[in-house]
Amino acid sequence: MLDVRDVRAGYGDVQVLFGVSVAVAAGEIVALVGPNGAGKTTLLRAIVGLLPLRRGSVSWEGRPIHAAPAHSIVEQGIALVPEGRRLFARMTLEENLLLGAFAPRALGGRREGLERVFEIFPRLAERRRQLAGSLSGGEQQMVAIGRALMSRPRLLLLDEPSLGLAPRVVEGILEVLRQIHRDGVGVFLVEQNVQASLALADRGYVLENGRISGAGSGHDLLRDPHVRQAYLGPLAMDR
Amino acid sequence: MRLLAQQLLLGILVGGLYGLAAAGLSLIFGVLRVLNVAHGELLMLGGYASFWLFALLGVDPFVSLLGVLPGLFLLGLCLYWLLFGFVVRAHEEVRIKNSLLIGFGLALALHALAVRLWTADERSITTAYAGEVMTVGGLKLPLVRLASLALALVLIVGLHFFLRRGRWGQAIRATAEDWEAALLMGIDVRRAYLLAFAIGTALAGAAGSLVSVGYSINPSIGLEWTLKALIVIVLAGMGSIVGTFFGGLVLGAAEALSAVVVGGPYREVVGLVIFFCVLVARPEGLFTSRGAFR
Amino acid sequence: MPGAALLHRPGASELRWAAVVLAAFGSLALLPLVVRRDDVLNFGVVFFLSVTLAQSWNLMAGYAGQVNLGHAAFFGLGALVTRALWIQGAPILPAMGVGAVVATVFGWLVGLPAFRLRGAYFAIGTLALAEILRITVGNSLPEISTLPAATIAGYSLTRRFYLTLVLAALAVATVAGTAASRVGLGMRAIREDEAAAEASGVGALRHKLLALSLSTLLAGLAGGAFAYYHISYYPQHPFGPQWTFDALLITFIGGAGTLHGPVLGALFYVFLKEYLAIRWVDLHLLIFGVLFVAIVLLLPGGLVEVFGRVRGRPRLTNP
Repeated sequence: MLDVRDVRAGYGDVQVLFGVSVAVAAGEIVALVGPNGAGKTTLLRAIVGLLPLRRGSVSWEGRPIHAAPAHSIVEQGIALVPEGRRLFARMTLEENLLLGAFAPRALGGRREGLERVFEIFPRLAERRRQLAGSLSGGEQQMVAIGRALMSRPRLLLLDEPSLGLAPRVVEGILEVLRQIHRDGVGVFLVEQNVQASLALADRGYVLENGRISGAGSGHDLLRDPHVRQAYLGPLAMDR
Repeated sequence: MRLLAQQLLLGILVGGLYGLAAAGLSLIFGVLRVLNVAHGELLMLGGYASFWLFALLGVDPFVSLLGVLPGLFLLGLCLYWLLFGFVVRAHEEVRIKNSLLIGFGLALALHALAVRLWTADERSITTAYAGEVMTVGGLKLPLVRLASLALALVLIVGLHFFLRRGRWGQAIRATAEDWEAALLMGIDVRRAYLLAFAIGTALAGAAGSLVSVGYSINPSIGLEWTLKALIVIVLAGMGSIVGTFFGGLVLGAAEALSAVVVGGPYREVVGLVIFFCVLVARPEGLFTSRGAFR
Repeated sequence: MPGAALLHRPGASELRWAAVVLAAFGSLALLPLVVRRDDVLNFGVVFFLSVTLAQSWNLMAGYAGQVNLGHAAFFGLGALVTRALWIQGAPILPAMGVGAVVATVFGWLVGLPAFRLRGAYFAIGTLALAEILRITVGNSLPEISTLPAATIAGYSLTRRFYLTLVLAALAVATVAGTAASRVGLGMRAIREDEAAAEASGVGALRHKLLALSLSTLLAGLAGGAFAYYHISYYPQHPFGPQWTFDALLITFIGGAGTLHGPVLGALFYVFLKEYLAIRWVDLHLLIFGVLFVAIVLLLPGGLVEVFGRVRGRPRLTNP
C-alpha cells in the first residue's frame, strides 16, 4: 500500500536519510525503531510531503505521491500524528477534531467521525469545549490521534506517541492502536519505546544513521541480539 | 464637562474606523506574518472608490460598500499573487523585513498614483442626509458617523463568526497558529494566506468607504491610517478581532481626550506615547509571538 | 589558514571600495574650480546628500539588519534644529552638530525600547516617529521657513558643495570603518541570525544601538546640510516619507550591505530622477515605487549583485 524506495532527504547542507526503503501493506502494523537523530521524524516528514525528497520515491497504492503538495496527502488517505502532538492550543478540543476532517473525503462524515472518536476516547467527550492547550499530556495525545482519525485515514502514521506520557497512559494508547488496526487501518508507528512497539507490530524496521539496519517480524527483531543490546539494555539480555 | 463628553463621543465614533482598519491589518499579520504598511493606502483606494461611485453615478456610499468590499477583496488577491505571495516563502524574520520594504514601496506608488489620477484635493461625500444630527442628553451625534460605527461593528462581528464557525475561517485560525500542523490537516496553507490577505484588504477598503462619508480623504491619508492601525494592534494585542476593534475605540477616545487637554496640534503624539508605553510595559512582544484568532 | 583568513577578512572589500570612492570624491572637489555652472553644483549637492542619507540607512539595515521605515524623522530633526540655531546666528557647523545629537537622542528613544524585542517593532516605531513628527511639525510650524535677506545675499553654492562633499566622504568612511571593525562583524552576525549571534557572545542590543547612533548622527548631519542648502522650505517637508524612501531606494538599487552599492545607487537615482522628473512630472514617484518593489522581490542584491554576476563572482552574504 505504502511503498517508500531509496529515499534521500535532509535539511540544508545536512543530509539525514541515505536511501531508506520501507513498506506498509494494507491493514498491517509496522514499527520503525531507532536511536535519537537516526532520521525517524525526517522519514515521516518526507512521506507526508513536508520535506522534499532529494532522491527516491514514495508511492501510495502504486502511484507516486512525493511530488504532490503536502496538503493533498490527507485526501489520499494518509494521516500523520506528528511528534509533539502539534495541537492548535488556542482552539477548543472539538475544533481541533473537526479540523482533522477538513479534507473533502472526511467532510461529509464529520459528525459520525466525532462520535467515533468520543467512543474510542470517552474522556475527550466531556472536555470538548476546553482549549486544547489546557489539556493534560495524555489527553492531548488522544486528541492528536483522534484528530488524525477524523480524516478517515487508511494509513495512520504516528511519531513517538508515547513520548513524555505515564506508563499507564501509554498502555491505553497502544490498546487504541490495536483497536484502530482491527478496524482495518494500516499503522506505521515510529517509537523509542522499542519493546512495546515491536511487541505490537506485525513487522519492524530499525533505522540507524539514516539507513535501515534491520528488518523483520516484530517478534524476530525483539530476539535479535543487536536490537536487544542496543535498545533494550543489558538487563533485557537476561530475560 | 459637556465639551469633554462631546469630544469623547466623537473620538469613539472615529475609533470604530480605527478598529476596522486595524482588524484587517491584524488578520493579515497574524496569519501570514507579513506586515503590509500599505494598508492605509488600500483604505484610501476604498475611500476613492466610494467617492467616485457617489460623484459620478450617485450611488449612496453605504450601498457602494457592497461593491467596495468585493472590489478590494479582488485587489487583495492580486496583490498577494503579485507581491506578498513571494514573501511568505521566506523564514519569519526575513519575511517580516521584506514585507515591510515591499509595503513601503507599494504605499509610495499608490500615493503617487492617487495624486496623478485624482489630484491632491481633499474629497468628502456629501449626501442629502449628511448634516443630520441626533441629540441625546445634550450631546450631538452625527447620524452618518453613527451609522459608520454600526456598520464597522457589523463587519467585525461577521468576521468574528466566520473565523469561529466557517470551514475556511477555522482553517485560517489553524494556519495562524501552526501552519505545518494545518498542512497535516489537509489545509492548503497558501490558500488560507491568500484568503486572509484578501479579507484584510477588503476590510481596509470598507473602512476607507466609511472614512469618505463621515470624514474626508486625500491621497496622503494612507500612512496616517496605517499608523493608527498599527498603534491599535500594539495597544490591543494580537489574537482577537473583537479585541482589536475595542482597541480602536480606546485609541479614538484617548486622542479625543488629549486634544482637549494638550490642544489639537499635538493630538497625534498621543498615539506615539501609547505605542511606547505599551512597548515598555509589555515587552514580551506582540509582533514576535505567534498569534491565533479567537 | 591564516592566509585564507586574511583574504576573507571582513570589511576588506569595504576598505578597498572606500579608497576608490574617496579618491573619486577627492577629484570631484576640483569640480567648482573647473565648472562654474550652478546646475552642475546643485546636482553635486543633491548627489552628496543622497549618498549621505543612503549610507546612514545602509549602516543600520544593510549591516545591522534593522529596517528603519522612518529615517526621515532623523533627517527632519537635523534640519529643524540646525535651521533654527543657524538662523538665530549660530555658526553652521556647531548648529549641525547639535541637530545631529538631537536626532540621535530621538533615535535612542525609539531604539531603547524597540531593540529589546525582535520582529517589526523598530520599523513600526521609526515609522510612527517620522509620521507623528511630520504631522506635529506641520501643525505647529505651518509657515514656510525662508532665509533672511542678508543671508541670501551672501549665499555661496560652492560652500554648500564642499560641505556636502565632506559629509558624504564622512559617511563613506564611517561605514567602511565600521564594516572593517569587530563591531561591524558583530552587526553582520546579528543581521544573519540574531539568536545565534547572541549565543556566541555578540551583545545584540549594544551593537544595534551603536549602529543606530552612527546612522542617526549621519542622517541628522544630512538634515543640517539640507537646512543650510535650501533657501526656503516648509519645516514639515524634510520629515516626509519620501526622504526615507529615497534612502531605501538608493540603497537597494545599489546593493544593501555593501559600501559602493549606495554610492552607485545614488548616482543612478539622481540621474534617473532628473530625467524622469522632466519627462513625467508627477509619475516619477510611481515609477520609483514600482522599481523599488521589483528590486526587493527580484534583485535583492542590487546593481552590485548584477556586476558581481557578470564578473562571475558569487556573493557570500545576503542582506
